[in-house]
Amino acid sequence: MAYTEEELKKELETKEYEYGFVTEIDSDTFPVGLDEEIVISISKRKSEPKWMTDWRLKAFKAWKEMEEPDWANVKYEKPDFQKISYYSAPKGKAKYDSLDEVDPELLKTFDKLGISINEQKKLAGVAVDIVMDSVSVATTFKDTLSKKGIIFCSISEAIKEHPELVKKYIGTVIPQKDNYYSALNSAVFSDGSFCYIPKGVRCPMELSTYFRINQAGTGQFERTLVIADKDSYVSYLEGCTAPSRDENQLHAAVVELIALDGAEIKYSTVQNWFPGNKNGKGGVYNFVTKRGICHTNSKISWTQVETGSAVTWKYPSCILKGDNSIGEFYSIAVTNNYQQADTGTKMIHIGKNTKSTIISKGISAGKSQNSYRGLVQVNSRAENARNFSQCDSLLMGNKCGAHTFPYIEAKNKSAMIEHEASTSKIGEDQIFYCNQRGIDTEKAIALIVNGFSKEVLNKLPMEFAVEAQKLLEISLEGSVG
Amino acid sequence: MSLAEKLVSSFLAFELDIDIQSPVHSKRTKALKGFEKLGFPTKKDEAWKYTSLKSVIKEDFTIFSKKKNVLDFKNVKNYFLDNTETYKIVFVDGFFDPFLSQTSHDGIDICILSAALTKPIYSKIISKYFDTSINTNDSLSLVNTAFAKEGVYVHIPKNKILDKPIEVLHFASGNEAALMLQPRNLIVIEENAQVEIIETHQSLTKNPIFTNSVTEIFVGQNAHLDYYKIQNDRLMSSLIDNTYISQEKNSTAKVHTFSFGGKLTRNNLNYFQKGSYINSTMKGITIIDENQLVDHHTLVDHAKPNCESHQDYKGIYSGKSTGVFNGKIVVDKIAQKTNAFQQNNNILLNDKSTINSKPQLEIFADDVKCSHGCTIGQLDQDALFYLRARGIPKKEAKALLTFAFANNVLESVNIPSLKSRIKKIIADKLGVDLGFDL
Amino acid sequence: MLSIDNLHVSVEGKPILNGINLDVRAGEVHAIMGPNGSGKSTLSSVIAGNEDYEVTKGDIIYKNENITELAAEERAHKGIFLSFQYPVEIPGITVTNFIKTAINSNLKARNENEMPANIMLKKIREKAELLDIDSKFLSRSLNEGFSGGEKKRNEIFQMAMLEPSLSILDETDSGLDIDALKIVANGVNKLKNKNNAVILITHYQRLLDYIIPDYVHVLHEGKIVKSGDKNLAHQLEEKGYDWIK
Repeated sequence: MAYTEEELKKELETKEYEYGFVTEIDSDTFPVGLDEEIVISISKRKSEPKWMTDWRLKAFKAWKEMEEPDWANVKYEKPDFQKISYYSAPKGKAKYDSLDEVDPELLKTFDKLGISINEQKKLAGVAVDIVMDSVSVATTFKDTLSKKGIIFCSISEAIKEHPELVKKYIGTVIPQKDNYYSALNSAVFSDGSFCYIPKGVRCPMELSTYFRINQAGTGQFERTLVIADKDSYVSYLEGCTAPSRDENQLHAAVVELIALDGAEIKYSTVQNWFPGNKNGKGGVYNFVTKRGICHTNSKISWTQVETGSAVTWKYPSCILKGDNSIGEFYSIAVTNNYQQADTGTKMIHIGKNTKSTIISKGISAGKSQNSYRGLVQVNSRAENARNFSQCDSLLMGNKCGAHTFPYIEAKNKSAMIEHEASTSKIGEDQIFYCNQRGIDTEKAIALIVNGFSKEVLNKLPMEFAVEAQKLLEISLEGSVG
Repeated sequence: MSLAEKLVSSFLAFELDIDIQSPVHSKRTKALKGFEKLGFPTKKDEAWKYTSLKSVIKEDFTIFSKKKNVLDFKNVKNYFLDNTETYKIVFVDGFFDPFLSQTSHDGIDICILSAALTKPIYSKIISKYFDTSINTNDSLSLVNTAFAKEGVYVHIPKNKILDKPIEVLHFASGNEAALMLQPRNLIVIEENAQVEIIETHQSLTKNPIFTNSVTEIFVGQNAHLDYYKIQNDRLMSSLIDNTYISQEKNSTAKVHTFSFGGKLTRNNLNYFQKGSYINSTMKGITIIDENQLVDHHTLVDHAKPNCESHQDYKGIYSGKSTGVFNGKIVVDKIAQKTNAFQQNNNILLNDKSTINSKPQLEIFADDVKCSHGCTIGQLDQDALFYLRARGIPKKEAKALLTFAFANNVLESVNIPSLKSRIKKIIADKLGVDLGFDL
Repeated sequence: MLSIDNLHVSVEGKPILNGINLDVRAGEVHAIMGPNGSGKSTLSSVIAGNEDYEVTKGDIIYKNENITELAAEERAHKGIFLSFQYPVEIPGITVTNFIKTAINSNLKARNENEMPANIMLKKIREKAELLDIDSKFLSRSLNEGFSGGEKKRNEIFQMAMLEPSLSILDETDSGLDIDALKIVANGVNKLKNKNNAVILITHYQRLLDYIIPDYVHVLHEGKIVKSGDKNLAHQLEEKGYDWIK
């Protein structure tokens, strides 16, 4: 029987603190700036083997030669990479001593999302004293998982404990110099997760958020590597519906997925970084590179709900290398106030009989800009490739913008590609209809938005879907007056 | 010397030939500066991502044809519409051919730009319209402006419904080893007027021909334009067609583009809606083979409320051919109640052919209906089986279905002789026996 | 229950209703008839609180309260139900989900607890049966791709679920074939009792063969020009509206 989230919660309450998988490094934050020495120091701090240091240095060399891309439909002040500190202690001190000191607006949102007090503390950066400590949780699960041969640990640990796996796969899907941000990440990544599912194993639980709360301090340059060996299955949940206030303005994560023959990886993300205030001040820049490679008969499915960040630049992609492999992308991107999102996917069909599905729902409100950018590429040997894409935009008010940039490139005559896009608004008549049935305007909008997003929400694991639904509601609060 | 350099350095010689005191000339010099700065586009430019001009501009083109060739009508009569009365404006190697042409000044002006640019009676129209709508970031339009001298000039006054279509033919005779042509056309249709225009570019030679054409069209209130482009040229000919259409309220402008030939064909079709209740329609059929490339770039700028645009482009590709479609729809925030529709359907008949399609929406208004669809696929297998079950061999059945796929774009062609000519070209291309269907 | 007093209504400055007086008591069925453009649908929209219509004069008193200035949902919470002439499509929201949201919103407004899921489901099944609605229909998106008849039946289904005090049925008979009409009429009759009231807005007499009105009013150029009992409807059917003018 699959291990459920419920059981996990129970276990959380009863389990006492054990050893965490995060290696303790008591160090202060590094000086600002980035050069070779800093890269070497990061590697050293983490006691990495030489091959890893060299790998980072190679990435750094490439990064120095590159230019920050500007083709995305977003405008922001480019960060000064020499003004960022590239390493900080993973266990920073708690910012607050009690919840009373935390911004009440934030707590209100937590309440709406139904987040427990302890979790609230964790998320708001309040010192947590009892029970809910994901480090211990992780350890508990590690036992359950290791019985099945599943490796789930931090990437730093994996580099030390499972060098053969890391060495074999890291950078194979997203090479160091793939793009500006991936090169930067490859040089300075702080930590992240590593997951290996052995042959024929179905991971019995969702590898989920609960673990990741622990890693909040390592968020800035996160690196994730998921390897699903032949005929295995894993569902991975990333992120958190709770608004994450983070001091780091720039986030440049890299996620690589490898689905070997017959394997299936389901990767779900809910991203709710601080989007900046109502006037567009502050907010996180989220520049993420996510890509998976599918071998024969395998499947990778990306699902994302993006409501946060001031600027989002993100294209979770699939390389359908093996015959009969399947790639999926389901996305909801909500922008409000002054947010900008440029997100979408790439489906690269290389193998025969490969299939891909893209469902993208963009919701723009306030003065935000929401872009879908996607590529469907069918190579000349990809016989019988199939793609279906649907990009729908919903606009609320006429101060925002919705953009679609779907690139479609086909080189095989047997390809069948269908692309549909539509733009709609929430009609006055729809709202009046709901009002007449006694539903107030805010609720009516939430209802309509949920209907609009349904095809994607349905793809999320159950508990996540409920939270995501609430999140959509909150993100759009006050967007229609 | 590269073609760009050659063009820039030829400008002095060009100036000897024209009136450099005319107000138009400052536009030319300004445009030349712009071109000098930008040069020819490369694949690094987003708008030219899929189309490289390299293989075209490598030729050593003559920029101004020295000699005038005279064509015998009977040798080119196949390129004119049969059994249809038309006004005719014919150019050979960039020079106006008065013998093959039939112009008019009878309450309307259907003549040539060189006259309009130099004669005082046209100066009012020229200063109001000439070079007012082009994209000043487009180096190809700029280089055309720099050398703007000859082309079609049409001015249809208020309430005039033109009695017959205008045929415009650009022939290249092969008088030069390699020739570059830069026709510049200005078409002004005043309030309530109606016009039909058919434009053909035809090379009569195996020598390389590179045509960089710019057409500015102004469609007045309530006016109606039907424009047909026949691009069925030889394999050594390349065409870049930059068309800018500005529409006033309640007007209709339809452009049909039939792209069957040429080495490289690039259509930059731009619509600017300047009033409400405008209809802009673009239809296209592309059927190409071998190493041919056809690239359709459309832009519809919805700047006013209650307007419509319709785009329907079909493509059939075989050999090593490449098709590109980039349809951009921009809906300004005041353009509420816009209804923009775009469809691009393609069939690849061969694994060496490629299609790159990018339907693009940029929407800033909330009360609009915009949709685009793009398909790349094969023929309906059920239909194919049905035909074969009735005894039609697979090859013919396929051809028939492919013909049907392209044919429905022709429904909106209003000139019968043109419709049957295009049908015939399509049937020939696809190896279909039309039987009684002509 | 409802008392309309000298109601004047304009849309975008153009007067549509010019002094409507109407009294509806609990237990009564009123039919409002009239030619196209006489203001029938305006009247129903105004009672339901559509803000596109501006009340320039007069009052709408409902259960002894002046509701002229209330928002549409507040009126709904008080038990006013409008069966729309053109029900709106909301893609992605199932009929069930929609009705659940509506019922709970109404309960909440009345400071009552949400309806437990099992009771809700039971009620949905019961009412669906009453209106001969297939359970598959309930899991479809609200009104999306519904036929005219399905949309109207769905409206009456919602009425059955919400149990309003005052139901206004705006051209509920249009787009219905005779069988569907009977089902809808039967549903309305079953829902009728001495505590609620129904206003039927219709162009034709047809519906009134199945739902017998206590009063018939004829609307012309924004005014009630004639009132009577059900026989008035028959007379109208025979003589046409010109007879009134």
